[in-house]
Amino acid sequence: MSISTYTMPLGPVHVALEEPVYFHLTCEGENIKNVELTSGHVHRGMEQLAMQRNLVKNVTLTERVCSLCSNSHSFTYSMVVENALELEIPERAKYLRVMAEEIKRIASHLFNTAIQAHIAGFKSLFMHVMEVREIMQDVKETVYGNRMNLAANCIGGVKCDVTDELLEYILKQMDVIEPQLEEITDIFNTNHIMLTRTKGLGLLPQEDAIALGVAGPVARGSGLVKDVRRDTPYAAYPKLDFDVIVEQGCDVHSRTMVRLRELFESIKLIRQCCNKMPKGEVRYPMGKIPVNEAFAHSEAPRGEVAYYIRTNGTDTPARLKWRVPSYMNWKALSVMMRGCQIAEVALVLNSIDPCVSCTER
Amino acid sequence: MQEIIKGHAQIIEALTPLCHDESAIKHTADLYGNGYHWFRLENSRKIKDAALILKRFPARLIMISAYENTDASVETKELCYHFDVEGIIYNLTVTQNNEWPIVPSITPEFANADWHEREIMELYNIKVTDHPNPKRLFLDEKLDSGLLATAVPLSVMMNGASSKDLWERILGDKEQQR
Repeated sequence: MSISTYTMPLGPVHVALEEPVYFHLTCEGENIKNVELTSGHVHRGMEQLAMQRNLVKNVTLTERVCSLCSNSHSFTYSMVVENALELEIPERAKYLRVMAEEIKRIASHLFNTAIQAHIAGFKSLFMHVMEVREIMQDVKETVYGNRMNLAANCIGGVKCDVTDELLEYILKQMDVIEPQLEEITDIFNTNHIMLTRTKGLGLLPQEDAIALGVAGPVARGSGLVKDVRRDTPYAAYPKLDFDVIVEQGCDVHSRTMVRLRELFESIKLIRQCCNKMPKGEVRYPMGKIPVNEAFAHSEAPRGEVAYYIRTNGTDTPARLKWRVPSYMNWKALSVMMRGCQIAEVALVLNSIDPCVSCTER
Repeated sequence: MQEIIKGHAQIIEALTPLCHDESAIKHTADLYGNGYHWFRLENSRKIKDAALILKRFPARLIMISAYENTDASVETKELCYHFDVEGIIYNLTVTQNNEWPIVPSITPEFANADWHEREIMELYNIKVTDHPNPKRLFLDEKLDSGLLATAVPLSVMMNGASSKDLWERILGDKEQQR
């Protein structure tokens, strides 16, 4: 270490997120040369808890792994159990699952972009995005009764049907939010403050993105055409039309634009679900639990969520393991932050849409 | 009618010799037709060969799942490596036991194995050799590996009078200390 190089501790409390993670920055003047991080402040032992609960109770537990991706966890968990039990789900449930997932994706992406405006010091944009996000929060509350954990999924399908009146309401709300999202996207793509703060910042070259196995908008912001909804189709996604959004800039701005452009794909998917959803049952009962192992993964708002289960013939899993998107994306920060200035750390950190509590489980 | 499961013949052919026999290989599909291929490798050292094969295609490591087999008379731990090649999942299981107590690191081949391997080292006390950065990930350096496994859950304590779990645990620990 040269005489001008020093290490700087950052965290565990941050400006970008309310969850604890500790960074050890090696700096030269204002420039960051290396990043190491220490985690483990909020380990909840959830995988161990899952092995003490029965398969049905674990739907509720897994929905609490993460707040913004909560639906993706109960969704993927239900899928992995269905794979292990070779249990089919009704056609209508496939569409209802996609609809809930995309509603959550819009709310999640808007939250991340709002925080980015907040960190960049563009307070009015932050407040505006959060206000627009309230439309989705209202949709969640009206349709599912909850603003964060929807409790929509269950093993074999979904817990509750959505009535025609509510589908009409969802369609109307999509018409309300769409022009506002266009306006927000335009601001992020043209505003001088946002562009100055985010363009060319936090570079993750495509070869690093491949080597580190990053997921979701972080991968797609580095030009990787990767989306589990397209690569390993599940639920109603194979029957629906949507584009995989990719940006080539490899910077914070590209990751933001992937999230913003994905909002319109989510609206497209929600509309198709509302219009194409067949009538019928919404769940099938569970059958006998065999001795088996299974794997399932899905595209959560932050990226790929993966679940592995081992069943032993009882109603309690012998092993339940999951991997959240942030788990892969943390390591990419060491590439993104190298060469950045200390004042830019919060923006780069937010660009991976980090979640500490789900990383540590 | 025979079901056709999606998969890359070249990958399956290359991984097959790393298993004992055909019974260690399983091919499954989910309800949407996605292929899942399961290989139980002959011993834990073979994971390195498997990683080199998969790297060529090129595969992406999704996750490593550790599993502690508490039912067996001899304590064994298993690791299941989940790889993705163009949306098809290859799951490779290796067993860690007294005969093969160590697992070689695949972080040199797959950089994103770093965190997974560090996590299984500290939470499952599995010995991973040649890891380029074997630092603690979640637990403090001062704590022993596998420490969390020594904790007795409150639910097990509370049910001490109505189930065998607590006493089996205590007797097991006592046996290990001898």
